[in-house]
Amino acid sequence: MANPAKFFEQIGRRTASGLDEMGYATVLFFEAIYWTLTGWRQRQPVRIAATFAAMVEIGVAALPIATLLAATIGLMLAIQSLYSLGIFGAEQYAFIGIALSVVREFSPMIMGILIAGRSGSAIAARLATMNINQEIDALQVMGINPNRFLVAPVLIALVVMMPCLAMWANIVSILAAGLYVSAELNQSFGAYLNDTLDVLKVDDVWHGLGKAGLFGIIIALVGVVNGSMVKGGAEGVGRVTTRSVVLSVTLIVVADMIFAYLTTR
Amino acid sequence: MATDLMSNGNRPSAEDIAARRKVIEVDRLDFAFGARQVLFDISLDVREGEIMVVMGGSGSGKTTLLRHLVGLMPPQPGKVKLLDKDMGALNRRQLLDLKRRIGVAFQFGALFSSLTVAENVKLPLRELTDLEERTMDIMANMKLEVCNLSGFGHLMPADLSGGMMKRASIARAIVMDPKLVFLDEPSSGLDPAVSSALDDLILKLRDAMDISVVVVSHDIESAFKIADRITILDKGRILISDRVDAVRNSPNERVQNLLHRRSEQIDVDPTEYLRRLAGD
Ligand SMILES: Nc1ncnc2c1ncn2[C@@H]1O[C@H](COP(=O)(O)OP(=O)(O)OP(=O)(O)O)[C@@H](O)[C@H]1O
Ligand SMILES: [Mg+2]
Repeated sequence: MANPAKFFEQIGRRTASGLDEMGYATVLFFEAIYWTLTGWRQRQPVRIAATFAAMVEIGVAALPIATLLAATIGLMLAIQSLYSLGIFGAEQYAFIGIALSVVREFSPMIMGILIAGRSGSAIAARLATMNINQEIDALQVMGINPNRFLVAPVLIALVVMMPCLAMWANIVSILAAGLYVSAELNQSFGAYLNDTLDVLKVDDVWHGLGKAGLFGIIIALVGVVNGSMVKGGAEGVGRVTTRSVVLSVTLIVVADMIFAYLTTR
Repeated sequence: MATDLMSNGNRPSAEDIAARRKVIEVDRLDFAFGARQVLFDISLDVREGEIMVVMGGSGSGKTTLLRHLVGLMPPQPGKVKLLDKDMGALNRRQLLDLKRRIGVAFQFGALFSSLTVAENVKLPLRELTDLEERTMDIMANMKLEVCNLSGFGHLMPADLSGGMMKRASIARAIVMDPKLVFLDEPSSGLDPAVSSALDDLILKLRDAMDISVVVVSHDIESAFKIADRITILDKGRILISDRVDAVRNSPNERVQNLLHRRSEQIDVDPTEYLRRLAGD
C-alpha cells in the first residue's frame, strides 16, 4: 500500500459503515417486531396472506433441493463415519456421531447456506429493485410503512421456515445415513433408528432448531439491509445481491462456530 | 369556448388566488447533501386549487424540493407546512393522517411491478382503509376511468406504455381523493401529443376534484399551459415565483435564458458526478 494513511482511512471507513449496517439491521429487527405486535392496533397489520406467501416461497418451494442436500449430507456423513471409525474397529458407534452432527451442526448450517443463496439473494434483489424504481418512496408517501409491509412478512417467514427446514433435514439426513450404515454393517434399519433416538436428547434438537431460527434472522436482515443500500441501477442490484449472499453465509458460519464453542464448553 | 393551446381556460385570477388559503407553505428551507448545499433559503406557498409548476435546469434542486414537500426528507433548517400542519412537528399518527390527504406520482411511475395496474391503484385503499372489496373496486375503476385507463386494470405495469404508466401512477396518487397532488416530471420521456393529453388530465383533475397540484417539469410549453404560477429554481435558489404572465414577461435575463433554452450550460461538477457514478 503506497499510502498508509489512506489505508487506515479505508479501514476506518469500512468499520464505520459496518457499524452503520449493524445499527440499521438492529433498528429493522425491532421495527419489524414492533409492527408485528402492534400493527393491527394501528389498523396497519402485518398481512397474514403476505407472510404466508413468503413462507411458501422460502420454505415449501425449497423442499426438493433441501431434501436432496440433506440426503447427500446424511450419506456423506455415513461414509465418512464408517471410514474413520473403521480405523479403530468402532463402526457400530457411527450413529452417535452422525446423529449429533446432523442435528446440532449440519442441518441448520446447510439449510442456512441454501436459504441464504436461494431466498436471501431474492430478498436483496427485490428490495434493491424496488428502491431503484422508487417503489419504497411510493410506499412511504402513501403512509404504508415499508418495514411492516415488506420486511416483517419476510422476517417472520424466515424465522418460522428455517427451523422447519432444519427439522426436515434432520429427518432426511438421518434416514439416508441409516440406510447406508445398516446396509454396510448388515444391521437392521430399525435398530439403527432406535440407537439414534436413544442418543439424541431433546436439547440437541432444540439447539439445532434455535440456530436455524437465528440464521433465518441473519438472512432476512442481511438481505434487507443490502437491498436498501443499493446504488446505481441494475448493476447495483447485482452487486448488493451477491454481497448479501456472501455476507449472510459468512455470518452464518461464524455464528455457528461461536455457538459450537459456547455450548460445548 | 375552445381553450387555446397556450393557456389554461379556468385559470383563476390573481385576486382570486391571493384570497385563498395556503395549502403548502415552505419557510426558509435549506438543504445539503453532506458538504454540498442543494437548496438555499427556499420560501414559497401554494394556494388551494392552484397549479404550481416548479421548473429549473438539471440539478437545480427540483426533485430535492419535491422530496421535502412530500416528507421524504426532513427539513434541516426551515419549515414545511402542508394543509396547516408543520411536518417537522407531527407524531407518527398525525403524519399518517396527513399522508392520506396527499398523493404523489413519481417520475418513473414507481408502480409495484408484482401487482396489476388495478391492484396498484387499490393498494392505498387496501392498506389504509377498511373498505369492502367491492367499494375498493368501484373507487379504483373510477380513478382509472378519469385517467383514461378503463379496461387496462388487469395489465401488469411492465405491459404499459410510458404515457399509460404516468397515468396509472396519477390514478394511484388520486385514489384516496387527496387535497394535494405532487407530480414529478409527468411529461418527461413522452411524445408531444401524449404529453399534451397529460396536461389536459392535470387540468381536468384540478377542475373536477378541486385539488392543488405541484408539478415538477422541464417542459416550458406544458408549464405555460397548465400553471397558475411558476417557480423557477436556479442552482438551489428561487429565481422567480410568480404568475405565468409575469414569468413570461420577466425582465430578468436568467429567466428569459431559461425560458428560451438559451445557454444550455449544464451545471455538473465533474468530480462530484464521478463520485456518484462510483456509488460513493
Ligand atoms: N443522493 C444525493 N447525494 C448527493 N448529491 C445529490 C443526491 N441527489 C441529488 N444530489 C445533487 O443535488 C442537486 C440537486 O439534485 P435534484 O435531483 O434535486 O435536481 P433536479 O433539479 O431534480 O435535476 P433533474 O432535472 O436532473 O432531475 C444536484 O446537483 C445533484 O447532484
Ligand atoms: Mg429531478
